[in-house]
Amino acid sequence: MIDFWIILTASLVATTTAILGCFLIMRKMAMIGDAISHAVLPGIVIAYYISHSRASLPILVGAAASGMVVTYLIQFFNQKVKLQQDASIGISYTFLFAIGIILISLFSGNVDLDQDCVLYGEIAYVPLDHMSIAGHYAGPRQVWILGSTLIIILTSVIIAYRKLVLTTFDPAFASAMGISVVLWQYYLMAGVSLTTVVSFESVGAVLVIAFLSGPAATAFLLTKDFKKMIYLAVGFGISASILGYYTAVWLAGSIAGAIATVIGLQFAIAFIYIQFVRKAHISQTLENKALTEV
Amino acid sequence: MKPSVETHNLTVIYDKKPAIWNIDFTLPTGKIIGIMGPNGSGKSTLLKAIMGIIEPNIGYSKVFDQDLEDVRNKVSYVPQRQSVDWDFPASVWDVVAMGRYATKGLFKRLTKEDHRMIEESLSKVNMTPFTNRQISQLSGGQQQRVFLARALAQNADLYLMDEPFVGVDAATEQAIITLLKSMRDAGKTLLVVHHDLLTAQDYFEHMVLLNSRLVAEGPTSEVFTKDILTETYGGTLTTLSKVANVLQEKDFPMRHK
Ligand SMILES: Nc1ncnc2c1ncn2[C@@H]1O[C@H](COP(=O)(O)OP(=O)(O)OP(=O)(O)O)[C@@H](O)[C@H]1O
Ligand SMILES: [Mg+2]
Repeated sequence: MIDFWIILTASLVATTTAILGCFLIMRKMAMIGDAISHAVLPGIVIAYYISHSRASLPILVGAAASGMVVTYLIQFFNQKVKLQQDASIGISYTFLFAIGIILISLFSGNVDLDQDCVLYGEIAYVPLDHMSIAGHYAGPRQVWILGSTLIIILTSVIIAYRKLVLTTFDPAFASAMGISVVLWQYYLMAGVSLTTVVSFESVGAVLVIAFLSGPAATAFLLTKDFKKMIYLAVGFGISASILGYYTAVWLAGSIAGAIATVIGLQFAIAFIYIQFVRKAHISQTLENKALTEV
Repeated sequence: MKPSVETHNLTVIYDKKPAIWNIDFTLPTGKIIGIMGPNGSGKSTLLKAIMGIIEPNIGYSKVFDQDLEDVRNKVSYVPQRQSVDWDFPASVWDVVAMGRYATKGLFKRLTKEDHRMIEESLSKVNMTPFTNRQISQLSGGQQQRVFLARALAQNADLYLMDEPFVGVDAATEQAIITLLKSMRDAGKTLLVVHHDLLTAQDYFEHMVLLNSRLVAEGPTSEVFTKDILTETYGGTLTTLSKVANVLQEKDFPMRHK
């Protein structure tokens, strides 16, 4: 049963992040997950300070709020100050992370909190924290939280699919149609903030970042249809979860580490496959040409 | 007759430097109108301001005597080709279909009629054989034609096109201008940003000459003159001689009459 819960947890995170990752990659914002993972720190510290608890909800709200702040800052530096996207991301999250560190050291006298305990969840512990409904065992709490997140993200993406695709591919045309590019940027980033924060708590930051960029990048290599890219990315994310889990069990190593490694391997294999197909294609063409010319 | 586009004191300032300054004009309907001016003279900015993609700092514009908001689905915007990432995973058909969503709204399903219009638009730009091609595998000229097909699929009354002739070969350019002329004959108005002085008089019956401010606006025969072109393009030697050449060519047929 433990196997099942851990794989389910990883797969839920993988599905949600892979969907969002496809949009992020096409917007050249794949590293936003990394940024948000650091930028949520001040929100978490402040939420903890106000609520004096390590309960999930206030922490989540605090984290999501700073997720939106970092999104705003990135937007601001990029659009108003005309800084490049990557520089805007870099400067925004290091700034917020620094504030978080300062806040922790200010409160450290009476606050039992460090970023490890909030940010770096450990997937192996997920089955330990379970819920019961009306006295019956109802599975791990994280599975419920991640399941709800997946439903929220999935519905939001389906509802706004065309707007998200249009503002990603051709913002000027979208805006000429009367679609607010900035609004949908925030919409997407709110989803990314929520997902990252919720997922950090259960599977840890490294795995979330790997899930956000890896499967989407692999899928991008293999298809030229955006919808298929999303399906493929989800497929890669889930299969990496299953393969990674059993590899970790077999080697008695870290689950998150093993899953992240499988994600990397998937990309490498796809990359080699593409090179191979391309070469084969070219030599085929050359052969055909040689034949017709003879 | 209703004017197609009118601007009043339209001014856009980026970083304290005005890109367009106090632009005031009223353009006719049913014509192919050229927007000309040197690099950085605010041509793209002017189109974007008319389309509401950027907020003007001062002034306003109207389309068909109404606020843009009320006639948006009658107006089609063709951005500069380089403004999008052509590696985006989509097919030619997907991009042209965006034109239909633009007119009918984003929630409706595409009907048979929509499919027919998409196919017709593709055939008008000779891209039918490429319908299922991935957009990352198109040449520059083919990309441009995909953008035009998307605009055609919108079935608008006013088209704002940013440099539709850049990076296309002579044959494609001819095909595009023939298409634009047939659209004009069907009563559409086309506002086209263009760079080539040599072809300008053949293509446009009306012109807007820009150099941050409005240098001139009117029928080509009235505004395409040495003085106005020199004022638009500045007095540098190369442009001056180019202008002279153009005007010579323009006069050439007259001398034989
Ligand atoms: N997003 C922007 N931020 C700051 N300045 C800008 C921006 N876009 C354009 N500019 C400046 O505004 C001026 C007008 O630019 P615009 O792109 O409208 O010119 P253009 O006539 O279309 O030029 P080209 O022929 O090169 O396409 C230029 O000086 C340009 O540097
Ligand atoms: Mg331009």
